Amino acid sequence: MTATAARPSNSRGPRVRAPRGGRLRLPAVWRTPLAIVGAVIALAWVVVAFTAPLWVPYPPDAQMLPRLLPPGTDGAILGTDALGRDLFSRLMSGAGVTIPLSLMLVAASVVIGTVIGASAGYFGKWVDEVLMRITDLFMAFPTVILAMVVAASLGPSLFNAVIAAIVVSWPQYARVTRSLVLGLRGQNYVIAGRLLGHSPLRSLLADIAPNITGPVVVLAALDIGSAILLLSGLSFLGLGAQPPTAEWGSMISSALQNFDAWWIGLFPGLAILTVVMAFNFIGDSLRDALDPSSRTERAASGVVAAPKTEDEALKGTGASA
Amino acid sequence: MRTPRLAAIAFAAVAALSLAACSGGNSAAPSGSAGTSGGSLVVDSGFTIETTDPGHTYDPTGNMVAKALYETLVDFQGSDVSTPIPGLASWTQNDAATEFTFTLEDGRTFSDGNPITADDVVFTMDRVKGMTEAKPNFLLTGITVSKVDDKTVTFASEVPLLQLPAILANPALGIVNSKVVQENGGSTTGTDSAQSYLDGASAGSGPFVLESLDLTSQIVLTKNPKYNGDEAAAYDRVVIRNVSESATQQINLRGGDTMVALDLNGDQVSELGTDFTVDSVPSGQTIFLLVNQDPAVGGITSNVDFASAVRSALDYDALLELAGSGAAQATGVIPPGFLGALETGTKQDLAASKAALAKSGYDGSTVKLQYPNDYPVGGVEFTPLAERVQSQLQAAGINVELAPAPFATELDSYVGGKEAFSMWFWGPDYADSANFLPFAPGLKVGLRAGWTADKNSTIAGLATAAQTSTDETERKANFTAFAKAMQESGPFVPMIVPGSNIATAKSVTGAVYNSVWTMDLAELKPAS
Amino acid sequence: MTLPRTQKTSRAPGERPAGDPPAGRSRPRRTSPLLGYLLRRLGTSVLLLLGVTIVTFALTNLVPGNPVAAALGEGAASNPETVAAYVKRYGLDQPLPVQYLTYLGNLLQGDLGRSLATGRPVTTDLATAIPATLEIAVLTIIVSLLVATVLGTVAAYRRGMVTDQVVRVVSLVGLSLPTFWLALVSFNFFFLQLRVVPGSGRLTATLTPPPTVTGLFTVDFLLNGDGVGFVDALAHLTLPVFVLSLFTVGLLTRFIRTSVLEVLGSDYVRAARAKGLSPMRIVFDYVLRGASLPILTIVGIAFGALLSGTVLVESVFAWPGLGTYAYNAARNLDLPGIMGVGLVVGFIYLGLNFIVDLLYGLLDPRVRLA
Repeated sequence: MTATAARPSNSRGPRVRAPRGGRLRLPAVWRTPLAIVGAVIALAWVVVAFTAPLWVPYPPDAQMLPRLLPPGTDGAILGTDALGRDLFSRLMSGAGVTIPLSLMLVAASVVIGTVIGASAGYFGKWVDEVLMRITDLFMAFPTVILAMVVAASLGPSLFNAVIAAIVVSWPQYARVTRSLVLGLRGQNYVIAGRLLGHSPLRSLLADIAPNITGPVVVLAALDIGSAILLLSGLSFLGLGAQPPTAEWGSMISSALQNFDAWWIGLFPGLAILTVVMAFNFIGDSLRDALDPSSRTERAASGVVAAPKTEDEALKGTGASA
Repeated sequence: MRTPRLAAIAFAAVAALSLAACSGGNSAAPSGSAGTSGGSLVVDSGFTIETTDPGHTYDPTGNMVAKALYETLVDFQGSDVSTPIPGLASWTQNDAATEFTFTLEDGRTFSDGNPITADDVVFTMDRVKGMTEAKPNFLLTGITVSKVDDKTVTFASEVPLLQLPAILANPALGIVNSKVVQENGGSTTGTDSAQSYLDGASAGSGPFVLESLDLTSQIVLTKNPKYNGDEAAAYDRVVIRNVSESATQQINLRGGDTMVALDLNGDQVSELGTDFTVDSVPSGQTIFLLVNQDPAVGGITSNVDFASAVRSALDYDALLELAGSGAAQATGVIPPGFLGALETGTKQDLAASKAALAKSGYDGSTVKLQYPNDYPVGGVEFTPLAERVQSQLQAAGINVELAPAPFATELDSYVGGKEAFSMWFWGPDYADSANFLPFAPGLKVGLRAGWTADKNSTIAGLATAAQTSTDETERKANFTAFAKAMQESGPFVPMIVPGSNIATAKSVTGAVYNSVWTMDLAELKPAS
Repeated sequence: MTLPRTQKTSRAPGERPAGDPPAGRSRPRRTSPLLGYLLRRLGTSVLLLLGVTIVTFALTNLVPGNPVAAALGEGAASNPETVAAYVKRYGLDQPLPVQYLTYLGNLLQGDLGRSLATGRPVTTDLATAIPATLEIAVLTIIVSLLVATVLGTVAAYRRGMVTDQVVRVVSLVGLSLPTFWLALVSFNFFFLQLRVVPGSGRLTATLTPPPTVTGLFTVDFLLNGDGVGFVDALAHLTLPVFVLSLFTVGLLTRFIRTSVLEVLGSDYVRAARAKGLSPMRIVFDYVLRGASLPILTIVGIAFGALLSGTVLVESVFAWPGLGTYAYNAARNLDLPGIMGVGLVVGFIYLGLNFIVDLLYGLLDPRVRLA
């Protein structure tokens, strides 16, 4: 993946320190219907995640009802599972397991990935070479298989599944950050800063960091959905949440044993779908506003980005706003 | 102007694709129905098989296949594994039960037409004994096999071994064609390399011969044309498919894609309705809890009082509810149907549990319950069972945290006796109550619970007495005494004996569960 | 608005790259930059594969379990003699670095070792598992690419309009579907309720698999002239391909829309429009051709994602592919099996990247060969 397209904009004349413009655009983002729908659903799930224990009708682990009740009987809105637990209570409590962990794991991947990517891009030479080869190494595994091996090695638990997910998600941030830093490092204002005697750390934090925030935020927003899918997928395989934890992926896997009780698997699946969809709506709207040609995302997945055209280059940095 | 044409193209493309998908779907019907006519049988099972070499076979799928390809000296009738009957040979024994003489049935041949002789028997046994890394190797530990004449073989042991006929019914000891196997690397000196040959072809006298083996997808057997025993195959071809999810097996069965499903659990069986035949019997497997007696491993729970507290805290009927049809409560370490099994099991008694718990010195701390989570026994998933045990123990004042792991990871610490509190299963290697003596202190399973012989010499003595009995009545009494003592002061809590459910379409009859080889494929016949 | 550097990759047929100076290159061209570049890439790829083996080897040896106990089963694992013989046979008594070097030595001779779980050579296992997965993956890519190209192009042409929004929502929903759940639900619905697709596995059990040529059942049946078998194999592919395609279409549509948009904004497409060429001709000769390189790259990425997706889907459909094999190997602590899968998948991934890069290097002179 060493072949990155040359960025004509890099060599073009002085560019103002405009990329902060991304922030100015944010309010407009939230006015698109897609973003509103996404935000409402996501917010609703987040509220559920943090308040569910206060209002669900049964404790999520209580085996108080008859087994395999269909939805709507005996006060069980969504029915009961094979152990006689109230599915509605488990579903709502499940939000509190998956959502905060997914957010945490994305945050951790962002931190690890940007630090590694920024170091590689800023210092260049052998640092770059070594760090990026390591990044490539982790990207050479398909995510689920690597996560599976990691989770199996560390022992199955929700915590280890999060670690496994971090192991497979950080490289994309490293890649994006590196390519952005590579582009910015030659900018006049960055060079000027260095000539003024700024330390590498200060240069990275003060001159470069503000300009990479936008693209990384877009990537992170789009990644929350994948993180939820990966975590629930690992739990589905039995490598994540452990019983009796009410986690959506493991709830679906327990539905495998009782096919006719369709409600056991259907509702957790719909829960995953809606929450992932909500975050994807938000992420896509952000991308639309901050990175219309999905350059960031393509760089993250290793796609050689097509060279920018000038009008898009301007849009991408928000300078035309 | 340009967009409508583009839309038209888009529409055409989508239409073409969906057409392709439809034609693919429709084709399923004729090919599916082709499966039910003709002489083919399709069986769905979650594979455990590693080889079709009987000498290396030690798992349920492997035993079922070996049973179809090879014949053993001793046989069982249907699902009754308590009475060994003559297979390829009939036998007599001496009074001390240390020497058994087997006489081969006349006129029986291998699938290549050659007669079965005493040399084949001796070679088969010596080959297994020679392969020290082979899993069934331990079956013949301490046994010497010698040829008397072309039709007669003796098996000798230093200690009394009433269970020898039952051991010889294990499909791993199916008689192989010594000439063919030796030509393909077979040897009795430990340098045997015939396994790869036997994975591609069979060299036995069973009702079927091997057509192909794919450990990950399917095994195909065809009728043995040279078979001249009394259990000839009714199907020309048998396909055993690897379907690891029992729900998928159930769906395949209901959808007419398969004719026999071997791994359904109780709930799935009850969903089947009346269009299918189900054979539900308790399997030979027992699911039990283990309380480690070694303080270095078990800490404050390392005493039999804690085990007693757990034993009386459980509501066995509620546990049985999860296991579904065919399951029974485990009345002791010897499951119902075996010699010496107890008549009734423990009943829930929370007061007794409380008393025992107080005596044990348990301080309310959280105890980890370890168990394998990817290895259902008789269709019973361990996870829901453990969740229910956890919730019942919680109600009795014992705090439990579940710590499942894949079988492969968990097995090592179980076998090494490093688990403080865990849930495991035990099934007979061959059909005899002697298989349950390892629960005794100082023996295999007992040691896994850190229960050395000196911790309870009385029970150790009872086990020895049962092991060395040479008289059947005395033997039964000894086994009963052993089982009773284990329930009163042992570190194990036997919970349930899962049912074994074999579900078949109405077009197939004769499917019967057998705890040693799961199912005898030759007994299956098309319904007329 | 001027576009000083239009898409080189997307130049219209017949247009020559008239001395457009390569931009942003820091080093002068050597005599044969392509060859040097190729060698460098090859070297890195080999190093990466080596890295893959080290990582997998290290990870699997971290596992708390004991592969010997796992492989032997509980009965035999209690027999010290059996354990000793087994350990010796598989060389498990050697120190880890020695075991690793032995593995590498065998690897050079094309020997991936013997699977502890199946007892067969890993190469034999992989030889059946890889085509099974490839068959799903390739068909999924073809189907998804067709659908996504149509959707993405339509959306790009109708940028900002209702159609565009609908396509966008559809592709986002596709990306949000948990495939393992979708596999279950659709299997239940299409097989059990509607009976329009056959059950699990690659083939109806009563049919005999075709003689192995490529390992892809559909192709082998065709080569063998067996129509019934071909239709049956294809029918078994329908549902897994459908499930995986929903996700892949979501992934591809977004990228294709963007790529098409970029091309639509370019000078030569405007010129073609100005010349009055028919819209169909513009779409096929200019736009899709222009966007083909980025699309090709994305397909490579999607392929990698698919290999992951199959792990979760194969178990539902009892599909004896790479995903099932990897899962079983990981569960059984089957070190040679896991390493084999890691190597194969790493190899496929690096190979795809290499080809894609190569195409870029050949077709786009501005790609920096450094």
